[in-house]
Amino acid sequence: MIVAIIVGLLAAGGVYLVLQREMLRIALGFALLSHAVNVLLVAAGGTGRRDQPLDGAVDPQTTADPLPQAFVLTAIVIAFAITVYMLALSVVGRRDDDTRDLSDAARSEVVASDDPLDVAEIARAYGAAAPEIHKEPTP
Amino acid sequence: MLPVLLGLVVLLALAAPLLGRVMGREAGWPLAAGLAALAAWVGLAPPPEGTTWSVPWIPGIDVALRLRADGLGVLFLVLVLGVGALVLAYSARYLARGPHPGFYGLMTGFAAAMTLLVLTDDLIVLFVAWEMTTLCSFFLISRTGPQAHAPAVRTLLVTVGGGLCLLGAVIAVAVRTGTTQLHAALQHEAWQSDPAFAGAVAALVAVAAFTKAAQFPFHAWLPDAMVAPTPVSAYLHAAAMVKAGIYLLLRFSAALADVPVWTVLLVGIGLLTSVMGAVFALQRNDLKELLAYSTVSQLGLIVATIGIGTPEALAAASVHTLAHALFKSAAFMVVGILDHSTGTRDVRLLGGVGRAMPWTSVILVLSAASMAGLPPLAGFVSKEAILASFVEAPTPAGTALAVVVAVGAVFTFAYCARMVLRTLPGTASADIPRKPHEEGPGLLVPALLPALAGVVIGLAAWSLDDLAATAASAAAGEETHPHLALWHGLTVALALSMGVWVLGGLLAWKAARVERALDRRLFPITGVQAVAAWQRGTIALGVRVGDLTRSDAPARHLAVPFVGTVVIAAVALGSVGGLGPSLTHVEGTDWLLLAVVAAGVATVVRARSRLGAVVTVGIVGFGVALLFFTLGAADVALTQLLVEVLTVVVIVLLLRRLPRTFARPSRGRAAGAGVLAVVTGLVAAAGTWALTGRREMSPAGRYFLENVYADTGGTNVVNTILVDYRALDTLGELTVLGLTGLVIAVLLDATRILPTKEDAEPRLIRTGPLADPGPNGVFTRATSRLFAPVMVLVSLWFLLRGHNAPGGGFIAALVAASGFALAYLAAAGDADRSKVAFRLVGSGIGIAVLTGLAGLADGSFLRPLHADVLGVHLTSAVVFDVGVYLAVIGVVVAALDLLGSEPPPRRTAPPPRPAAPRPAPAQPEPVAPGKESA
Repeated sequence: MIVAIIVGLLAAGGVYLVLQREMLRIALGFALLSHAVNVLLVAAGGTGRRDQPLDGAVDPQTTADPLPQAFVLTAIVIAFAITVYMLALSVVGRRDDDTRDLSDAARSEVVASDDPLDVAEIARAYGAAAPEIHKEPTP
Repeated sequence: MLPVLLGLVVLLALAAPLLGRVMGREAGWPLAAGLAALAAWVGLAPPPEGTTWSVPWIPGIDVALRLRADGLGVLFLVLVLGVGALVLAYSARYLARGPHPGFYGLMTGFAAAMTLLVLTDDLIVLFVAWEMTTLCSFFLISRTGPQAHAPAVRTLLVTVGGGLCLLGAVIAVAVRTGTTQLHAALQHEAWQSDPAFAGAVAALVAVAAFTKAAQFPFHAWLPDAMVAPTPVSAYLHAAAMVKAGIYLLLRFSAALADVPVWTVLLVGIGLLTSVMGAVFALQRNDLKELLAYSTVSQLGLIVATIGIGTPEALAAASVHTLAHALFKSAAFMVVGILDHSTGTRDVRLLGGVGRAMPWTSVILVLSAASMAGLPPLAGFVSKEAILASFVEAPTPAGTALAVVVAVGAVFTFAYCARMVLRTLPGTASADIPRKPHEEGPGLLVPALLPALAGVVIGLAAWSLDDLAATAASAAAGEETHPHLALWHGLTVALALSMGVWVLGGLLAWKAARVERALDRRLFPITGVQAVAAWQRGTIALGVRVGDLTRSDAPARHLAVPFVGTVVIAAVALGSVGGLGPSLTHVEGTDWLLLAVVAAGVATVVRARSRLGAVVTVGIVGFGVALLFFTLGAADVALTQLLVEVLTVVVIVLLLRRLPRTFARPSRGRAAGAGVLAVVTGLVAAAGTWALTGRREMSPAGRYFLENVYADTGGTNVVNTILVDYRALDTLGELTVLGLTGLVIAVLLDATRILPTKEDAEPRLIRTGPLADPGPNGVFTRATSRLFAPVMVLVSLWFLLRGHNAPGGGFIAALVAASGFALAYLAAAGDADRSKVAFRLVGSGIGIAVLTGLAGLADGSFLRPLHADVLGVHLTSAVVFDVGVYLAVIGVVVAALDLLGSEPPPRRTAPPPRPAAPRPAPAQPEPVAPGKESA
């Protein structure tokens, strides 16, 4: 019961965060969602039996199910890899980790900037549609 | 005999590219000789009816490479190999000098695919061979040049669409009849007892065959494909591609002849195509296009005849297939000769070439006359048989349908006459681009042979009785003995034929007026336009559908699975019932951990500061780790704990590049995300409560607990699952981890990491005595010098004991990585370590794979090996764990290094703003490694 509430809390927090704009928040949201799923997996083995599956203490009546634990151990490490990758994504933006959509207004704002990186980026993404963007400033 | 035959054709196909490369165009001779020898073998000593041969392919679903010989297969085999030989011999003089590996490879490959198609007795193999012919024709057309790409793609789209229909039919038949053996499936009683099944399969097979045999409305690809060189066209039209469709119809006729859908589709579409194609052919001026529409028309005639379905009709269709192969291959090759000699195929330019090209004229006249159905040629015999089978068909409309056939034949007669009369008689036209001259025997003989064969067969029609009888018997599924002859007496068919000659002759006589009348669009759109419009429409629809998800904003994509989860829960709410009693129980620490998690989640959701959010997420992570520990998962808890530490270290490296606070989310976003979050959270909690903790331990878990020591010699069950029982999962996971490191390196190499923010370091540090990062880090550095080596040693201890106590490769690696992280944070400058990191990853995965390969010694990849040396139990699983250890350390070190270093200076930008004023570092700082080290 308590474990179910914990899963719910973690899921709710994770969902809220991944729907935000900043990549860092999205990455943290994914971390919370991974926690939720991992706890759920361990719970699937049952929370009534809590003895460590170690040292030959093999009373199936009291020992925790080792199979979900092995799954979760793998899942934690993979989730770590995903988190690190998303964190790397958060520091390759233009100025910060905002992930807003390039709506027309935002695009014209970016094009108007004198940041050559922005201009190059927009030119790559919208090459044919926006010819004036091709005028890259020469150093 | 069958496997030898197929093997030899495949062998030729494999040798063809080599011959084409070495011998150039002359490779046509040996290949033609090979195919001709095989054709003669099959024709003179046909394999006994019902010979079978089989090797299993996918035994699990009863798919085997089954071959079976019967009359129908033999007839088509002779066509495929014989016409193939003629066309290849012709190519040896038609092609330009120089290497032609692709052409010869694909042409003989085409022959091999057709051989497999007509010999196979397995539904799945039939489909595979069918698709192989599609691909061969696509490549043969598309390799002609840039102008051929669009027609080739259209051809592919139409024929692959038909292929999907055939796949549907094949699967339906295999499932319904329970066998993939073709002739057994066709004799199943379901065809009679289950009209819905029979009707559906009839429609699917018919559509598949229509696309291949260029029947209305799929006819457009065939004239479109005329961009291919003439030998390709000759083969496609006479024996290979389009005849595959005819073969399929004849093959399935045994089961489907009595199905109404089949009869209506085949007779209706076939006759429509027959008349339409003939009219279009009469309209064309390009001889090759004319022949293409002629093929469309003739195939329509054959399709309609198969639709009649009587044994006589099937015999007539078989014979007309043979006759068509002869006159159409001759006609195409002779048009190629005209083109070669005069430089044009346009009947308006050609004229009076007969005198200069006597042999060419003979071939053209013979093939056109056979096509027009004039005695004493093969085309007359087969057309008479077709007309007779229509007249004698067991339907009241038989004679009326025969009249429609005759209408098509009138136009056929007219275009055949036009082909001959506009090109041969009279004095040479002045419009011909090049002076006509007779070509050498290398081109003439391959074209002359099928034309002469038409004469021989016409005069000695009885000689085909046996071939037609076995083919029709195989197709009809009952014995039949057709009698072919030039003279059957005064029959309705003969009367119709004579009417055709009279009317056709009239059209030929009034050719100029007919030409004027037809010199216009008969339909508002052409078939090619229709296919192109369909193609464009499909792409436009795809774009429209894609637009729904074409957004850079992650929230739009990420919300979808959560909404889906809620929907699934809503559905489950109504259907899940009868939950067992809950076996969970609550301990006091659970409440404490719930409080920790709740506080952490509440704080991180509301946090405006990036640092605050990171710290609270770390707290939640520790709470979850403790929860794992109390639930009896010590290894998981340890892993979680260490991962939290390392995650925080990585985030700290990034935080100085990002603004301090988050932007305030808009009210709409906060509300939408909040509602979805609350609902998803409720669903997740309810799902966890309802679906877990209601059963005893899983049988798998029980097995692991009870047998772990006997199986692996270890007692840490979770670790043995990772490295002994389910090591393949772990290997896959390692690879994912290694890729993450690589992807980050590539990502940072392709884009640019954000520079450190100027305001990231507090003013105090920038101006005060602690500004110098060298002395500033003294304390940490001193600590790390002491602890980092200890941590690495501890990690080795964790690694080695992992099989029996909490520890193992993952945990040990995370401990060691924490040591590295400590050393990294303490270091004053960046050193070039990335390469070391990737070597660690590579050697880790390498060790894991090699250990797995060693397991092959015991019969299976990744099976651990055990040995007792001096009383100590050793297992290769520990070596595997060393691989895990190295790879994980490597990834963490790579991440630290890549994300921690400063970006290289921009090349296109003005001089970068200094990241932070750093007065004289204590140690000489290496130039920012960034790109060079990545």
